[in-house]
Amino acid sequence: MMPVKAVLPFYFGSPDKPLFGCHHEPRATLRTCAVVICQPIGHEYINCHRALRQLAVRLCDVGFPVFRFDYYGCGDSSGDAEEGRVSQWVEDSSTAISEAKRRTGLGQVCLVGLRLGGALSTMTSVQRDDVESLVLWDPVVNGKRYLEGLLRLRKEVLRLRPKPGRGRKPQSSMDVLGFPLSDFLRSELEKINLLAIGRKPAKNVLVIHSDQAGTNNSLEDHLVHTEARLQYQRLDAPPIWLPTSNGSLLVPNHVLQAVVSWTCRTHS
Amino acid sequence: MREEAVLFGEMKSLVGIVTDPSERRVNGHRPAVILLNPGMVHRVGPGGIYVKIARTLAAMGFVVLRFDFSGIGDSAVRHDNLPFDKSSVLETQAAMDFLQATRGLGHFILMGGCSGARISLQTACYDPRVVGALPINLPMPEDDDGNPDQPHGRAAYYYWRIATHNLNSWRKFVTGRADYRQILRTLQFQARCRLPSQRKASAESLKFEANMRLLVNRGVQLAFIYAADGSPSETLREAVNGAFKQPRTPGNVRIEIIPRTDHTFSSLSDQEQLLKTISKLIDAITAATSNAKSHQLSARLPRSVREKIQQYLERRRSLPQLPDTRLGSN
Repeated sequence: MMPVKAVLPFYFGSPDKPLFGCHHEPRATLRTCAVVICQPIGHEYINCHRALRQLAVRLCDVGFPVFRFDYYGCGDSSGDAEEGRVSQWVEDSSTAISEAKRRTGLGQVCLVGLRLGGALSTMTSVQRDDVESLVLWDPVVNGKRYLEGLLRLRKEVLRLRPKPGRGRKPQSSMDVLGFPLSDFLRSELEKINLLAIGRKPAKNVLVIHSDQAGTNNSLEDHLVHTEARLQYQRLDAPPIWLPTSNGSLLVPNHVLQAVVSWTCRTHS
Repeated sequence: MREEAVLFGEMKSLVGIVTDPSERRVNGHRPAVILLNPGMVHRVGPGGIYVKIARTLAAMGFVVLRFDFSGIGDSAVRHDNLPFDKSSVLETQAAMDFLQATRGLGHFILMGGCSGARISLQTACYDPRVVGALPINLPMPEDDDGNPDQPHGRAAYYYWRIATHNLNSWRKFVTGRADYRQILRTLQFQARCRLPSQRKASAESLKFEANMRLLVNRGVQLAFIYAADGSPSETLREAVNGAFKQPRTPGNVRIEIIPRTDHTFSSLSDQEQLLKTISKLIDAITAATSNAKSHQLSARLPRSVREKIQQYLERRRSLPQLPDTRLGSN
């Protein structure tokens, strides 16, 4: 394996809404394609950060330049969490792709999206012509179902946390584990439906399902009709985006390996 | 305010974000604040709370650095065999060196949750540049029986404050589906807590007390913050008072418990309360450190550092400013 240079953190994008990005540069670029990782949002972003950083390092080890970034109002990017918008995040993904291409000088891009990052990367891909391949890792296919999951988790968390005291006014804004879920964001999330996407998002698509509970094959069936070259893998791994009882952050080795192997084969 | 992504440390492998206050809020005499990873969570903190803390404090005029220890978040792993309790102190000192070199700041307040709380105190013991520490939910050392108090404390909190008000929990209790062993252990723990003289101090507890004496005698301002959720604040108070063999907590030690919050401040209202408490305590620490003693310290800063402060203030004036649209912005 080739040793990698240290990661380069920086801000990019428009000066009034700077986004945070991390560029992993291999010692020698062996591939014709840059990888851009689209992360989930909210508590899922926190829980998946470690695994996605590991994924970036592994892809870099095999010669891919990799770019990770935070959406506006998320992570280290500018903006408050209350300002989160799906439309903004799709725009941010597009900005990140352009930045990755500019930095590497490569013309092709592979997008890797986890959970909501999967939905956002698909929505971004259909707007562009330079996304060669797309990895969807337990993607959010239906926004309504995703929202129901968030609200279920919220209910469970509220059950276990201290109750507000008498006379204390109830919280006006809704949140899930400290991340705000505004009415506007909820309405935008509800509209997400990857099965309504008409054109193929990329030439090559890998769909990975590790979440046994949320699995159905409707996305794969739909993508086949868009004439994308599709591969589907079902892997047994824990849902790393959910909080664990002891606060540990999980890294599912074989899922990362599957993504690296497929990306290498696709861009050999 | 302005945020800058930085790389620092011996190998330039530690990743951090510096939040600088806007020009009109820059005050070279204020200590800088450094946020230390809470466990394995990267520098944004659980629920993004570190970002909110950094922006709130920058709006108050503080330079804030939040960074990842090696092997956590975006920072690369170390290639030596240094254990974490040593490497984390060295890396916190590297963070101070970085701010001293780039911002000309010579005094620091360290803040962190959980393991970050422990490292803030350890570093303060080693480095005289630390004038204050704000440990959040500091885990207390185990007693001599090897029983950490915190899990029992949390269990007690859960049983008394949540389970006793929950019909399902009672149903489990009367139908034999409850964890009776755990309930018994928790009751034993509570009984033991009422008899402090029965507790045997472990080597770790004695070390903690010695460190407390060192920091208090050096005039370091200590402000401990605990969530209400099963906090070991009483154990801490006992340890601090025990260290000085007096019933009253020393003046430069503050202990704040935030009511109706959980360990990770996992709701917006918890976060709001935490930010208010931190702002209040930081103000108190800054006021205390800007007394005569700390003026003497400032005067003792080497000329090169004072020149750096001046250069930094001048450079700040020439930097383009972003609009302050964030939480608590000025």
